[in-house]
Amino acid sequence: MASESVTLKSDALMDQMKQHLSTDAGKEIVKKIGLVYQIQIAPKKIGYNEVIYTVDLKKGEVTKGPYEGGKPDATFSFKDEDFVKVALGKMNPQLAFMRGAMKIKGSLSAAQKFTPDIFPKPAKM
Amino acid sequence: MAMRDLITGATSCPDPAASSSSSANPLGALANALIGSSSKTNERLKEIPTSIPTDPSSHLYSQPPPSQFLPGSEFDKPFFDPSSQGSQFLNGFRSAAASGGGALEETWDEIQRDGRAAPQLDGGLYDRAAPPPHLHQPTLDGPPQRVLSNFLHSFLDSSRGGVPFHPAPLPMLGLSEGDKQCIRDRSSIMARHLFADKSEEFIDAQVNALLSSLDIDSNVRGKGPMPERFRELEDYWNESQGNLRPGPHPADGWIAEYSQNRANLDNPDSWANSFEQQHGANGWVSEFENSQLSSMDQMQAMNMPNLAAMEQTRMLANTLAQNNDPKFQNSKFLQFVSKMSRGELIIDDNQVKETAPGDWATEYQQQYNPGHSWAGEFLNDKVSHGPDQWVNEFNDQQHGPIDDQWVNEFSKLHVGDWADEFGQQVAEGAFGESSSDNWAHAYDEYLNEQVAAKQQSDSSRGVYVFSDLNPYVGHPNPLKEGQDLFRKGLLSEAVLALEAEVLKNPENAEGWRLLGIAHAENDDDQQAIAAMMRAQEADPTNLEVLLALGVSHTNELEQTAALKYLYGWLRNHPKYGSLAPPELADSLYYADVARLFNEAAEMSPEDADVHIVLGVMYNLSREYDKAIASFQRALKLKPQDYSLWNKLGATQANSVQSADAIMAYQQALDLKPNYVRAWANMGISYANQGMYDESIRYYVRALAMNPKADNAWQYLRISLSCASRNDMLEACDSRNLDLLQKEFPLQ
Repeated sequence: MASESVTLKSDALMDQMKQHLSTDAGKEIVKKIGLVYQIQIAPKKIGYNEVIYTVDLKKGEVTKGPYEGGKPDATFSFKDEDFVKVALGKMNPQLAFMRGAMKIKGSLSAAQKFTPDIFPKPAKM
Repeated sequence: MAMRDLITGATSCPDPAASSSSSANPLGALANALIGSSSKTNERLKEIPTSIPTDPSSHLYSQPPPSQFLPGSEFDKPFFDPSSQGSQFLNGFRSAAASGGGALEETWDEIQRDGRAAPQLDGGLYDRAAPPPHLHQPTLDGPPQRVLSNFLHSFLDSSRGGVPFHPAPLPMLGLSEGDKQCIRDRSSIMARHLFADKSEEFIDAQVNALLSSLDIDSNVRGKGPMPERFRELEDYWNESQGNLRPGPHPADGWIAEYSQNRANLDNPDSWANSFEQQHGANGWVSEFENSQLSSMDQMQAMNMPNLAAMEQTRMLANTLAQNNDPKFQNSKFLQFVSKMSRGELIIDDNQVKETAPGDWATEYQQQYNPGHSWAGEFLNDKVSHGPDQWVNEFNDQQHGPIDDQWVNEFSKLHVGDWADEFGQQVAEGAFGESSSDNWAHAYDEYLNEQVAAKQQSDSSRGVYVFSDLNPYVGHPNPLKEGQDLFRKGLLSEAVLALEAEVLKNPENAEGWRLLGIAHAENDDDQQAIAAMMRAQEADPTNLEVLLALGVSHTNELEQTAALKYLYGWLRNHPKYGSLAPPELADSLYYADVARLFNEAAEMSPEDADVHIVLGVMYNLSREYDKAIASFQRALKLKPQDYSLWNKLGATQANSVQSADAIMAYQQALDLKPNYVRAWANMGISYANQGMYDESIRYYVRALAMNPKADNAWQYLRISLSCASRNDMLEACDSRNLDLLQKEFPLQ
């Protein structure tokens, strides 16, 4: 991991999300949301050196790279820090959007379902 | 003239064209639009560039007369002067509402009046915001303090055996309300640490016995937000917030207005309800307001209702940013403005059309007025249609064009897709009830952030934030006291004593280290990191400190920093130091460091510490199975290490083995019942399994022991809404632990 030029905090959360979706609680989320999100995470500035994740809450998958099954229901752009804040409930998505910390493309009703509770929370050592 | 000089930075870069207000100069035009001809405003604005500190968070709070300098307040008057262009947007709303009656207008007026009054409050608000309320009490000095301290010690001693507390009679202490509040809060936190393994009833009984013997009513104002002497400020605060909260909100006024007008028509409520369902009672409006507020948050000095000012600022910043003229780019005014809007908007330059600030408001007004507005239209057209039909009609008939215009206007604010989408969604009635909650909460949360802003900005930079008015300051040996308290498990108290120690001896590495550990066990990694960094400064080679820093940074997902400290551990280790070539420190790669640690582990397989560090390393690379194996190996060597059990649990939890994790946490809690971090981790594990009710109880338990554990508050909030306990969100937001503990006792 560290041998890559960019390491994002978000990578850890996405990894955990990937595993989480295989659990019962994760399957509940898929049942409840049923949408595909594409999340573009930039190390420092939105739009630059973005790492793209597809969080497919239809199939219950997290993959790196843009969504290949057509158009995602909503696409979000974040800075690394801000994605972590939103996923961990430190900043709520509406607030993030209004501050410009989160950019949204796609369906608003799909975006509205993007809430911190779909992400598992990391435990602390 | 002074204003325009300022805008163009005329002293350094004079330009005759810039000092005219000709339309060729967008800045001049903007300046006119913004400030009208008020000379008073000129003077005020002149203060701004110098009064904007380069580092807002470090200055704004410490300036003695903030109410005079807070940049937001300068805009108050000019923008709300009804004759200025700045209020056109509001006028637009007013005239749109005029056809329906005056309620909306009155509501706005009310808000504006309060807006004018607000600057006087600001100083007070921030004074109030700075100290955490629970601790913001003076030391109990003089003889009563001695009495009290002995008394509290007897409480501690008697409670150690788990026997009910029988207080000795006390002389009159003359405690103030604030003192009582302080004692109440601290003793209840303390008791939760002491009796972490006892039932809630027992804890409550103990605390009540203590409190009643001190003549303190255990219920008075609970853990209310503020000590008595701030009552006045609190009232102000509530009052000022009251105008922004759901109650007298414009949207409500709007709805109420329509209900009234339609009182004689069929089923007026259904319309109001459907409106509320689509838009949320306060959702869109308060969010809109929120966006205005957020654009000012760099300045930490917003006036809540100052919508127009914020809007203008943003428009101005955008317009200025597009102008390539270096004179504008270099002007002080631009720097000021872009500071105001920094980070608040994503500016997509290609899409931005140059536009003077008054324009869209005017257009908006025009669109609405001649068209008689949907309000009037609705009144004329109405009646026989049910709410759904109304929505369709709204969409299909008259408002097709106007809707588009409206969306276009908003697109100029770079809301782009969102605005399009919003227009469509509103028309389709796609908003459920939940969204309105979210939007309203966004606003509340923003207010909270303001209050917490100082602490967050400080601690996020690795600066240690001391508690205010620490009772252990002046203690003859705070280090020993802190060590004792830590051993007894009174983490929050130990933190205070250790803070007193490091205030007295800032170079005491042990003081800082233990303080860092206490914070980590109390589930506050930011403070833990800050303390540990000071410990490392004082003693750069301390292995425990290096490991603790590695762990805390791993927890905070800061991989590079974590790797650095873990490598530091290896390098400074007497036994393994030779493994680590010094030149590696300049360019650390995970794989290299991991290889070195594996070599170390092979060298001495019986050294628990090396397995611990290896386990942390594998957490960093998210090779959880290997991490679990390392920790389990270390546990065979050190089965009594509660923090090691917690590390194992956390690793299992992060690799989605929540059931195993809970067993490991339970081990940790059996060894150390007041281990706040393990309680909070329990909550996380239950929440990740979708068992939100259970998770709430554990979070509340953790918070009762350390109300400053911000993460736990955030997670509690999420669990509450997932468990459909929205009724308790307010208690969570106001951090009302009494209520939460009553509602969610841990069986």
